[in-house]
Amino acid sequence: MDEYISFEQIPFGSESFADNPEPRCPCVLLLDTSGSMSGKPIAQLNEGIQTLKKELLADPLASKRVEIAIVTFGPVTVESDFTTVGNFFPRPLHAENDTPMGAAINLGIDMVTRRKNEYKAHGIGYYKPWIILITDGAPTDSHSKAAMLVREGEAMSSFAFFAIGVEDANFDILREISVRQPLKLKGLMFREFFIWLSGSLKSVSSKNPGNKVNLLPPTGWAEV
Amino acid sequence: MIWKAIGQTITGTSHLQSERGCEDALSFKTQALPNGDEALICCVSDGAGSAVHAAQASSYTVQTTVQTITELLHATGAIEENNIIEILEQLYEDLQQMASEKEEHINEYSCTLLGAVITEFYALFFQVGDGAIIRDTNPDQYAPVWWPHNGEYSNTTAFLVDDPNMGHLRIIRLQETIKEIAIFTDGLQLLTLNNESLSVHQPFFQDLFKWLRMATQEEHLQVLDRKLGEYLNSEPINNRTDDDKTLFLATRF
Repeated sequence: MDEYISFEQIPFGSESFADNPEPRCPCVLLLDTSGSMSGKPIAQLNEGIQTLKKELLADPLASKRVEIAIVTFGPVTVESDFTTVGNFFPRPLHAENDTPMGAAINLGIDMVTRRKNEYKAHGIGYYKPWIILITDGAPTDSHSKAAMLVREGEAMSSFAFFAIGVEDANFDILREISVRQPLKLKGLMFREFFIWLSGSLKSVSSKNPGNKVNLLPPTGWAEV
Repeated sequence: MIWKAIGQTITGTSHLQSERGCEDALSFKTQALPNGDEALICCVSDGAGSAVHAAQASSYTVQTTVQTITELLHATGAIEENNIIEILEQLYEDLQQMASEKEEHINEYSCTLLGAVITEFYALFFQVGDGAIIRDTNPDQYAPVWWPHNGEYSNTTAFLVDDPNMGHLRIIRLQETIKEIAIFTDGLQLLTLNNESLSVHQPFFQDLFKWLRMATQEEHLQVLDRKLGEYLNSEPINNRTDDDKTLFLATRF
């Protein structure tokens, strides 16, 4: 019978796949919108966020997996709650007021914890959340609770926390808060930073021993 | 020829982009047994993306395991759970040795392992980490031997080198005649398993086994094997997974 089957001609394969939701990678941006960011810094930051959206949208898997949320300070505001980039329409940020960085970090950690619980409740797999702090100053509120929560969260592998300092940011305080070495943005290279961030987020699905987070080398935007 | 087997390992699109190369590995063989039967031996491994020597670890692991099992079957005609445990303990020592020689941590040799030895009357399965082994339960019906082992995060799992005492090893010997088996790495997990019902996505495997069953000659298998590689690298698959992916399929005549 087999002589009637031409194996070269058969449509080998299956078009039927399991209908599982994509695992998500939650990423919170904690953005300093205090008065000192006004002018060129905030304009470059706004442009950088658009670049992030564009870069992630161009990747078929990252656009389904990465969920962005934005918290600005001050005052501490949830500018945008977790959403995949297709539904992410960031409004231009304005710089004003003081720098309640501690409260913003606490909120970011709460949001990540809540989001994980939502994934669990809906049977959605997820990757380690990322919390990214970008500031050009120093907190005007207390940062001791935030620093403790970051340390705890990193120790328990609940999230990865990154601090990026712009221009005159107080790096002594950033080092008190972040377990990972804070990085200094070269000039106002927000665009390059967000291209790097989207590139790193695209590789989150890669398997890691010891819960490491895979990052691209921060070349181009970070001062050494 | 008692077993008809094909299997392909394809580099994921994310690995191509980052020029990391393929870190999945596959090895399979058949070994004639004294009673006239033929044992099918297959191992699949997925090297951890952030481990420096992931590719070397996964390929060494599958080749050594298949080779050692084949020699054992050739010499004694049978295999038991404790043989597998001994083989994997030795593997751990080998990987530790490789790491020591390069003055590196053994984590740089992190990889998973999925293995099967199937004879007419019994089957041995073993697994460390994610990915899955699928077996037939009824004609055209499949079930996983174990559900994939993932940690809290979708990209965390257990690796062979995590524990010298093989605490993460799952192993079972079934006194059953298994006619069909598939093994795949986690790159295909979301496409082939239903997470909500913890079940196999049956149509996927039915579509593939249908053709494998019809093959009667070695050259049919060669064509199917090539087509399997093309299929695993096709757009419908690559739109759903960017990870390395391995799929092994075998059916008994």
